Formats: sequence, C-alpha cells, structure tokens
Amino acid sequence: MRGAVVERGAVVEPGAVVARGLGFTHAGSAEAALRDVDLEVAPGECLLVLGPSGSGKSTFVLALAELLGRDVAGRLDGTLEVGGPVGVVFQDSGTQLVMERVEDDVAFGLENRAWTRGEMQARVPQVLAEAGLDGLGRERTATLSGGQQQRLALAGALAPRPRLLVLDEPTANLDVDGARAFVDRLAALHAAGTTIVLIEHRVELAWRLADRVLVLGRDGRPVDLGPPAHVVRRSGRALLDAGVWLPADVDAALGVASRAARPPAVIGEPLAVGHGIGFGYRRRVPVVRDVDVSVAAGDRLTIVGPNGSGKSTLGRLLVGLLRPDAGTVRLMGDAPHRLRSDQLARRAAYLFQDPEQQFLATTVAAEAGLGLRDDELARLPELMDALALPLGRFGARSPYALSGGEQRRLSLAGILARSPRLLVLDEPTFGQDRATYQGLLAILGARLDDGVGLVAITHDERLVADLGGRSAVMSGGRLVGGTMAGAPTTGGTAATGGSATGGSATGGAA
Amino acid sequence: MILLPELDARQLTSPLGRASPLTKLAVGFAWLAALVATTDPRQTLVILGAGIAGAIGLGRVPVRRFLRAWLPFVAAAAGIAAVNTILGAANRDPAARELLGLGPLRITEPALAVGVVLGLRILAIAGIGIAFAQTTEATTLADALVQQARLPDRFAYGALAAYQAVPRLSLDLGTLVQARRVRGMGRGWSPRLLLALLVLALRHADRMALAMDARGFAATGRTRYRIVRWSAVDAAVALGGLLVLAATVALR
Repeated sequence: MRGAVVERGAVVEPGAVVARGLGFTHAGSAEAALRDVDLEVAPGECLLVLGPSGSGKSTFVLALAELLGRDVAGRLDGTLEVGGPVGVVFQDSGTQLVMERVEDDVAFGLENRAWTRGEMQARVPQVLAEAGLDGLGRERTATLSGGQQQRLALAGALAPRPRLLVLDEPTANLDVDGARAFVDRLAALHAAGTTIVLIEHRVELAWRLADRVLVLGRDGRPVDLGPPAHVVRRSGRALLDAGVWLPADVDAALGVASRAARPPAVIGEPLAVGHGIGFGYRRRVPVVRDVDVSVAAGDRLTIVGPNGSGKSTLGRLLVGLLRPDAGTVRLMGDAPHRLRSDQLARRAAYLFQDPEQQFLATTVAAEAGLGLRDDELARLPELMDALALPLGRFGARSPYALSGGEQRRLSLAGILARSPRLLVLDEPTFGQDRATYQGLLAILGARLDDGVGLVAITHDERLVADLGGRSAVMSGGRLVGGTMAGAPTTGGTAATGGSATGGSATGGAA
Repeated sequence: MILLPELDARQLTSPLGRASPLTKLAVGFAWLAALVATTDPRQTLVILGAGIAGAIGLGRVPVRRFLRAWLPFVAAAAGIAAVNTILGAANRDPAARELLGLGPLRITEPALAVGVVLGLRILAIAGIGIAFAQTTEATTLADALVQQARLPDRFAYGALAAYQAVPRLSLDLGTLVQARRVRGMGRGWSPRLLLALLVLALRHADRMALAMDARGFAATGRTRYRIVRWSAVDAAVALGGLLVLAATVALR
C-alpha cells in the first residue's frame, strides 16, 4: 500500500465516494491516524462518522476534503475517489470565515472556482437568503452571532453547489437552538440530494439524519459500517465500551442504566454572592444587566443560554477577572477583583471556554503544575490519571499537540489541582467522550461532596441534567429563566438551605 | 469584542474613498518622502495642512473621528518636539542664539526650530495615515493589490486574513492575562504571554490556511467578485498630490 496513488477528480459520479484501503499517517508520527478504510458512499447518502476521540474522524474528513498530503503533511495509503465538488464545514467559525464581509466570504469559493462575475452576483444573494442571512451581505463577519457565523460558513461551502458536503462537528460551538436549526438545514440539504458526511457529537440531533453510520476504533480502523439500527445491534456494546455517545433511546435499548440521581446536596456557607451586577465591555453596551446570584458550598448552578447572552462574562465577574460596572460581587466576603492573584487562585478557579487561550507552559506536565504548592504537586499524578492524561504518557507533550478533548481536561487539571472553593467552569465537558465525561463527573461530584461550589456554563443538556442543582437561563445579559440567587432547589435539608440564604446577606454586607 | 474601525458610507463614497488604495498609497509615500527630506517648517506645514484637508475635505472623515484618531499623535508630537528642543545639540553651541537659560538648561533658537519641525512631521505623518485608513477598507486594499499591483492572491488575501485576526489576537492576550491571574501567577506582564500569543497566532493562521484551501483557494485562475478599476478620481488625486509637492518646492 505504501505510496499508493490517491485518485482525485470525478472518476466516480458526482456526490459519490469510493475509498479502498484508505489510510493516513501524519508526518513525524509512527502510528497511522486512519487505516484500512473501505467504503462506498452513494450520491445523496448521509453518513454519520462515530468514534472515540483520536480515532481518525477528523483525518477522514480532511481526506474527503482533499487536504491530506497538501495542507496536512503525511503519507496517504490506498485509494480515494471523491465525486466533487466538495464543500467543507469545520467546527470553529472564527477560523473558517476568510473574508471581511459576508458577501465576499460567500463569493470566495466561487472566485476560486472561476465563476463569472454575473453568475456570482446572482448566486451570492440566493445563498445568503437560503441561509437566513439576507440583508447582511455588507456586514462584517466578525459582527455576526455564533449561529449566524456557522450558517455563513455553511453558505460559503454550499455556494459552488457541491454534490458532497463534509462537516467536522459543525455545531460544537453553538447553543441548543442554533445547533437544532443547523441540523434542520442539513436535513433539508439531504432531502434535496446532497451527499453528507458528518462528524457530530450531538448524536441526539444527528442520528435521525444518518442513512448509515461509520464507526472508527481507537486505532483508526473501521469497526462497523451500516444502517444505524444494524450498527447498534452488531456493535452496540463495542460502541459503549469505546466511549462513543449514542442517543438516549439507543442507550436504553442497549440496557444502559439511566443516570443515577445525585444525592441531595448538603449546602454550606455562601461562597460567591452578587447583587444587581451590571457590566459592559464598552460604554452603553451592557453585556450583563442587573443579575443577582449566589453560590454556596456544595451548591451547583448551571447557566445555559444562547451564544453571546453574557454567561461567560458573568462567570468572569464572579471570580474577579472583571470589575462590575454596577452592583456588587463578593467572593468569601471580599470584592474578588481586588484580591491579589495568589489569594484569588486559592479561593476560586475559572475554566475558559477555549482551552488553548489559557495555556501558559510548553509541556503538559509544566502546564498542569503551574503555580502549585509542593503538596498539590504531589497529588497531581493521581489527578492526571483520573483525567485520563497520565503524566507518564502525556507529561512531555506540548499542550497544543493534544486533541480538543484532551486540551479541555488538561486545562481542568491546572485548576482542580489547586482545590479552590469555587469552580466556575465554561463548557467543562467540551469534546469529551462517554468515558472521559463520566470520569470528569466523578471528580466534580467528589469536589462537591467536599464542599466546593460549582458554576457550570454550558450548552451540554446532558451535563445540566447530570449535575442537578439549580439551572438558570440567560439571554441578552439577563436572567430569563430558572434561578441563580436564593436557596438551592436540590432538596438539600431545609436547615442548611436556609442558612445559605441567611448567609448570603452577611456575604453581601461584608 | 474589539473591532477594526468601521467606515460609514459617506467616507467610502467620498472622492478619496473611491480612489484606488494604490493611488492613495503612492501620494502618501511621496508626501512622506518630502516630509523626511525637509527641515523647513513651512514646507512641513503645507503637507500637514494638505493631509488634514484631504482627510476631512476629500475623504469626508467626520472631524470628531479625525481628532479622536489624531489626538494620541498630537501628544506624541508635543513630547518629541519638547525632548528635541531641550536635548538638541545646538543648545551646547555657544554661537547659537539663546532663548532661555535656567542654570544648566539652555534652549537655543536652532534647537527649537528642529524640535518644532520634528513635531510637525509627526502630526503630518499621522494625518496622512488617518486619511488613508479612514477611507480605505481592508478588502478593497487587498483587491487593489491583486488586481492593480498584480501581487499574488495568496499574499494579498493571506494578509487580509491576518489583518482580520488582529482583534482576535487582542482577545487572546486579554484571556491569557486573566488566565495567569486566576491561576495565581500574578497580574503583570510576562514573556511567557508573548510566547503563548505567538503560538496562538500561528495555530490560527494554520487553520485559516486550511479553511481557505478547503474552499478551493487557488493561486491562479481565480475570477473576481469585486472589480477595482482605475478611474478619473485616481488621476485627480494623483494630480492633487503632485500639486502639493510642487507648492512645497516653490516655497524653497
């Protein structure tokens, strides 16, 4: 197979894919990321690609996009025929919108395919209208919401009328409604005859789209391929063991016990209390408006809401990374933005949404151990094992060379090692498969039992359900549903719940 | 979210807004060369005045917006003028005419003249820069570089993508600083931040390149959605630019 030629161009009919013994080894890596893929995708089919993290799913998408060996250095094996043109959508809209203006971005792919100016002028508005972006052609892409940006990325990929659309976790950064709308649009495209190859962790949404499922194993080899029901029957157990997420009804059919309810929280003293918090990055553009919030020891609060609703900003206010314009925030009695850095780090931790934005060291071991005391360093190996990042295997690697899910866990390690009392976590479960998710949940549960207060900002509905506790919905910088202040509703003993409310007044007055 | 300056329709449809960015660059650089070549305050003043008139008159840049962009340079210019006046070599020349003598501090006429010209030069350079930046969209500049200056697409649109990444970079830096603080590493600046920022920038560029290629970005054979053409406006702007230079020469 070594050095075999990969066929490019329309050898097969448009929208079809034929792979024979397809494999890929990244330059500088001994292990193949993808191997022995034999597959035929018929025009108009929708193929859902599943597999644990590190199973070569993204590599497969890059292969179909004809980017392997060109942009991504390495060795291709076997043959691949793709009936193009191919449209590609990636996860992060910030790095796939190329041009400054919306209409120019849609036109970019058309220019590359040498469409005439007249054709482009007819096609661009049409594509924008289909994407629900009409009238926004002259806007800057940076001013669009996350959901709009991802619809624009799809519009740009669709503009040249591809027969095959490949998508690598396109909804990963979207809120629940945005993700649903995106998958609905894919369903419409599928119905109209576009071939779709999709990697998607939100299986609840994607499952109904799939005509067939390709399951890749940890070694990058196909485990199974077939209609969803057949795959579940044949390989359901293996899928569970590999940590692959499956829809709830499939879980039930496979006999996976529904989640064990967490024991009622024992609520202790208040940790963070905010009254009438208001904040804006620019004057007259408030991002958080008049929010009351209190988090006590043992307490868990999940905050959900659309992209840009002020959730992350509120989280940063709670731990003093920002100073409120209005209202007060108290972290164990003090205004957190005035605390010295080392004091703050013992009281609270904040997990940023993008793991890469918080890496400060060049190896995994150094990153996890940054700023730790000796006793904390001594406990680090145990924590890293629990997070499925054993130092023996990962310690010397670069944080940037990890997968997204691994990066997420590394960034968590850096803050969990310090045992702060308040944890504010922005998308803590991002990119986790079933096994690492359960591991994470166990660690968080143990911390809660130890009296840590937890605020989780998330789009992950599963996490909201599994954590229990209070849940709040934010929109436009305000609380629009649920509760963030007052007594927890988790059924904690009335006495301790009452003490939390009573204590919050003390905290606010301090 | 920090954004690059948004230009309103008035600025974009103004004569300078409609001129090719290349014409503006050519005139701007010719004026810059003249500024650097001269130490005559009158010549410097002519170019300074022409730059302001160009931005506000021909570029229809709102006065408030112009001033807001210009003000930091006014402060810088004042500082540079003061430093050069006080520390000027001419102050140690016994033959130079003394304007002020306070113990060790001696300020002479030639030193003041040099300080003033250097200050005016900063103001003029800033004015020219604002006239260009406030009438030119990044996309138009990239289009002009490709279509009129015949620069490679990969260079021009790569640069455009990098330019758009600037706000993201400042967000990255803000988050890195916060990450340091919340992990007990202090509030301040550290060389580590620069390294982390560099890595983020490179990874960002890498992904962007991948996305461009995924959409069939080709070095050759591309068509153009937006057309940039030379027009009479360009001739007029170039002519006006030359007239200003001629006026400075006439002042000699």
